[in-house]
Amino acid sequence: MGAPAIALTGAGAVPWPSPDRIPHETAELPAEIAERVARVERISALVLLTGAAALRDAGIALVDGRRVRGGVVLGTAFGCLLTNAAYQRRLVDGGVAAASPRLFAATVSNAAAGEMAIAFGLAGPAITLTAGGASGLVALGHATSMLRAGRADMLLAGGADAVDDPLVRWIEAGGLAVGRPVVEASAMLVVEPASVARARGAAVQAMILGHAAGFVPPNDPDGAAQALVHVIRRALRDAGVDGERVSLVVRGAPPALADLEERALRAALGDRASVAGVAPKEMLGETLGAAGPLGVLALVGAAPRGTIALVLDVCASGQVAAVVAAVGDLA
Amino acid sequence: MPRTAVITGRGVVSPFGAGVQAFWSGLVAGQTAIGPITGFAAADLQPNAAAEVRVPRFEHPDRAGGFALHAAREALGEAGLVTDGVGVGVALGTTLAGMAIFEAWDGAAIAGIERVPYYAPAVTLATELGCTGPVATPQLACASGTHALALATEWIRDGQADVVLAGGTDLLCRFVVSGFNCLRATALVARPFDAEREGLVLGEGAAIVVIEEAGHATARGARPLARLVGVGASADATHMTAPDRDGRGATRAIEAALADARVPPSAVDYVSAHGTGTVYNDAMEAVAIARVFGPDAVAVSGIKGAIGHTLGAAGALEAVLCTQVLETDVVPPTAGLRELAADCRGLDVVRGDARPHATHVAVSTSSGFAGANAALVLAEA
Repeated sequence: MGAPAIALTGAGAVPWPSPDRIPHETAELPAEIAERVARVERISALVLLTGAAALRDAGIALVDGRRVRGGVVLGTAFGCLLTNAAYQRRLVDGGVAAASPRLFAATVSNAAAGEMAIAFGLAGPAITLTAGGASGLVALGHATSMLRAGRADMLLAGGADAVDDPLVRWIEAGGLAVGRPVVEASAMLVVEPASVARARGAAVQAMILGHAAGFVPPNDPDGAAQALVHVIRRALRDAGVDGERVSLVVRGAPPALADLEERALRAALGDRASVAGVAPKEMLGETLGAAGPLGVLALVGAAPRGTIALVLDVCASGQVAAVVAAVGDLA
Repeated sequence: MPRTAVITGRGVVSPFGAGVQAFWSGLVAGQTAIGPITGFAAADLQPNAAAEVRVPRFEHPDRAGGFALHAAREALGEAGLVTDGVGVGVALGTTLAGMAIFEAWDGAAIAGIERVPYYAPAVTLATELGCTGPVATPQLACASGTHALALATEWIRDGQADVVLAGGTDLLCRFVVSGFNCLRATALVARPFDAEREGLVLGEGAAIVVIEEAGHATARGARPLARLVGVGASADATHMTAPDRDGRGATRAIEAALADARVPPSAVDYVSAHGTGTVYNDAMEAVAIARVFGPDAVAVSGIKGAIGHTLGAAGALEAVLCTQVLETDVVPPTAGLRELAADCRGLDVVRGDARPHATHVAVSTSSGFAGANAALVLAEA
């Protein structure tokens, strides 16, 4: 018995990555979720709003008791660092007596996933992963594998990062996001086995066919290109897709690594002039953990049904990830 | 043939010192490494007890990265694995990463800023060891190390890697000690499952295991130390800091791991409990373990009275503990436990002296902030 095909049936994102489709309004949230959004830390508010939009888009009730077959997989580059900074500032300014239990409790990067689990009653796996700028695609890959293995029937999967001016300066001082303005963003996707989606009559917006992740050594350009080629080939193999069927590439490299990405793509897909490329980051900026899922959404918004695309994330700290996706329902 | 995951090497840096043997010897002897904090200014931190890593000395502020690298080298050595790192993955949990560097930041440029983010210790391992396989940092608070082994197992099963360095690492610093203190979650002594337990004591350290596809290990003549047969995770979905009083989240994680392993609860000989020594965690866990396995049906122990709560490293250290229990058929005592609490009855908690106990299958369970739960099933090789 083969692993089930995985369908994308809903999405919510800020900013929205393509001009042709407006995400669901999130203004009319149930009162308990709206109150939660108002009191939680910034990254949690972002994922609650986009998670709610994704569930609505997928035709899934926001509140429906405890759903033990539903879960969360969130990718984030910097997680709760904004909250850590706020906690630390109070500690430095006011000493131990000023330490805030409310803030400290949110200085775990899985706080945002935990807020979603509570708000939407998702009591299955609640996983948060960080892999630098590749976090979002690594999370989507993990979600795909968990669904294939039958660990859940529905996952809210995606990525998010909350930033403010000091954190942006800090990220830039550390050389952690090279070459593009850092932008706060969140993109949450509803993914589920295609059989489950079809059985409940949901529209399949895209299929997640395969994924892979890897690490490109920052100080070894040739080794890095080779490693990225292997990641792309592994993702294609996982998808059961020949590289020649890929007709669109969603690029994810920062400018400093664009050459590396280009070399790897040529080596993995061949020198085919027909492979079109889009780069949502050129429009949106460096969206960190949300970048990969935003790339998938850009694909859904821009490409005709049946398009098979390779979505890449290549990160300055070395983590890379690839997802192979098809627009529409391939069944 | 389905691909399966085995553990072929282990490395530990713990408050008992460097190495699996120091860790194991301290646990079996029932010792505790908890004492007053000496590694940083702590006079204003109350309580100011912790289990610090003093030997070997790690002077660099990136202690989490340093611990992990030290443990990884020991693990590769035990595995007898000489590798250039190509295709090798890294799954490394942490809750603090470079927070000691972050603490020192005053807005000006500082050296080592790139080692602050949570993904940094995994990047340190991958860079130092040349790893080009998947690299990720699970963030499940105090269950991070446990899920790191689960993620590695998934990569092995799915063919994403043949070899993964998996584990957890964390460090002590003012940030974390002041934080747990202000939550009133801490005590001077950790007494898991005890009638007079008052809270947890923080610790630091790292554990790394070499997780390998079974056929890959066999082909190179390596001896598996244990098999990783089941993984599970769940959310409490009830409260951000307090565990579900009924232990339903922990129950779901354990049951998911057993189902994944196709192992009935009756086949499990030993459970390594999360056992933080806080009132709510231990009572919750007692309910969950008794519910899954039956009252007093399985030997249980916890190591946080010995080496403190090492947060993101805890689950990985406890997985190493499980491999030792499987190998030696000895369960170390639960340091700090004197009298079993009324709300923990139904648990056969090993205390006093180490207990000889034939063990073929072990379960390790972890729970963390934001309602994260994770469990592993390990079987003898």
